Amino acid sequence: MRIVLLLVLSLLGCSCSGSIDEPVSYFNVETPRPFGYVNGDEIPQRIVIETRSGISLQPGSLPGKGQINRWLNLNRVTIKQSGQRYQIDLLYQVFYAPLEVKSLTLPGFTMQLSQGEKSISQNVPAWTFTLSPLRELVVRQSEQGEYMRPDSPPPLLTDTQALYGLAASLSVAVLIAAYLGYLYGCYPNMLRRTLFKQALRKLAGLSKADMERALTIVHHALNSLNGQPLFSNRLDDFYRRNPQYLQVSSQLAWFFNYSNRYFFSDGMIAVAQDLQQLKDLCEQCRKIERGSR
Amino acid sequence: MNTDIQLTDWREQALQFEQQINQTVIGLQPAVRHIILSVFTRGHVLLEGNVGVGKTTLLRAVAQGLGGDYQRIEGTIDLMPADLIYYTYLNDQGRPCVDPGPLLKHGDTLATFFFNEINRARPQVHALLLRAMTERSINAFNRDYALPHIQVFADRNRVEKEETFELPAAAKDRFMMEINIDMPGSDTVLDELMFNPRFHDTDQLIRGVANSGIYYRLNELAQTVQQRSQTSPKLHAYALSLWKATHRPQQYGVQLSDVEMPQLLMAGASPRGMSYLIRAAKTRAWLEHRDHVLPEDLQALFPVCMTHRLFLNPMYAYRKEQLLPELVEGILNQVAAP
Repeated sequence: MRIVLLLVLSLLGCSCSGSIDEPVSYFNVETPRPFGYVNGDEIPQRIVIETRSGISLQPGSLPGKGQINRWLNLNRVTIKQSGQRYQIDLLYQVFYAPLEVKSLTLPGFTMQLSQGEKSISQNVPAWTFTLSPLRELVVRQSEQGEYMRPDSPPPLLTDTQALYGLAASLSVAVLIAAYLGYLYGCYPNMLRRTLFKQALRKLAGLSKADMERALTIVHHALNSLNGQPLFSNRLDDFYRRNPQYLQVSSQLAWFFNYSNRYFFSDGMIAVAQDLQQLKDLCEQCRKIERGSR
Repeated sequence: MNTDIQLTDWREQALQFEQQINQTVIGLQPAVRHIILSVFTRGHVLLEGNVGVGKTTLLRAVAQGLGGDYQRIEGTIDLMPADLIYYTYLNDQGRPCVDPGPLLKHGDTLATFFFNEINRARPQVHALLLRAMTERSINAFNRDYALPHIQVFADRNRVEKEETFELPAAAKDRFMMEINIDMPGSDTVLDELMFNPRFHDTDQLIRGVANSGIYYRLNELAQTVQQRSQTSPKLHAYALSLWKATHRPQQYGVQLSDVEMPQLLMAGASPRGMSYLIRAAKTRAWLEHRDHVLPEDLQALFPVCMTHRLFLNPMYAYRKEQLLPELVEGILNQVAAP
């Protein structure tokens, strides 16, 4: 029983003396794997240190950025502080070209901690790792021909399906653009040569009861041909620009006269003959637009 | 039936009258036709043109030919509204007298009132004319005077801009037509005007116009013509499109060079303007031996009836001499009927 009590008391004493007297309550150096490095690799090293309150780290005691020795550079030093806990990240870079696997050492150093006037030291141990050569001398001696060779090109992914898809969507886009152009009237010459063809097609199914529609269709065709609304008092100007239509001048005069009477005066009764005459006029104009007259 | 014969007789008289004016004032046939139309529609006319092209002669010839009491006044910068209504003077006995001025002198038989150089008169005078033109009455000496037969002819020259007052929009809108008088184009007409002594003495020339004495029956005739001339639904639609095009020409595809079309117009044609256009078109149909109005009637009258009613944004106003005719032409070229 006494022995047990003594043991407990001594353990308590140890732990108390550790936490109260030691200026550094926690210290750890985290390093990566110690092998498999080649010339130019970067090696990170993290130092975590926790101090008692009132004790602070002297950043000037850490190794400075720049060349450490002939083959070692310190690229970056970052210090993160949260309360009494410091996290120091060092990033080294190795510039050493060994001919065979070689063991190297990151040099240790001593950090300074201060408590008022008093200064306390904390050792960071050196760390040893191995560096491999990039080029193998042994192989070089036995190898025939060229020693340094380019990488083989990567294999290509199959793209036939994507190409088919692209071709299909492009042709659909072209078709839609052409149709849109047609709707917006981008092919005036082509349309101008089918004006009376379209008019005839529309006239085909009409009877004398649809005289208004029939006249409107022919007016529309003539307006499109003229580029602006055509009225009987502007026929001279129309003939000057489209002399081939002079052949049907008497029929056109009849048409405008008839349309004026139909649309603008009362008591006009359409007969089947009028519609036939209208179709005849359209036929003649169709022949002219095809160039066969 | 009786009315039809009457209308035919009247048409003959009107055409004869037109012919007579064309013989007195040569080379101005389109302007004469427009004046005849305005006379038979009972609308007021504003003439615009260069100096010495025959504006005044033309109006005097028309007034002489129509008959009716005629008064004329010259626009000057110091003319005041009162000068049109009365004038004061000392009589033989040295007593002050007040007599009616040009507007009231003939009472309700005043027919043609000719306002020369209207843009030299002040806006106060234009304001007085506004009422006389629209309501055909004025208020003076504490009572209203009716002027049922008044027709105002005004002219202004296009050359001078100094010491002139631009007619306000309201005053312009009351004129049925603004007719441009240009120099005759044909060489034979110009030669005739230079060397034929007949055209050297204007007074004698005007005296040669026979007084037809038809004036006081014009109101009744104009009414008959308006009732007789028919307009079809298609024509109504066409006129409506023309009207809308004076407000938003861009919607009808009218495009002028160097112009942002939506910003071009400050105001389009007024309802009064369109009604004047339709009335004049009916009269034109009658003169052309028709009983129905055609789109070509509207087209023939659209420039003279509409150009002075369209108001451009200040940004474009300095180009109005060029833009307005182009705009009117563009509207006529783009609006289809049917």
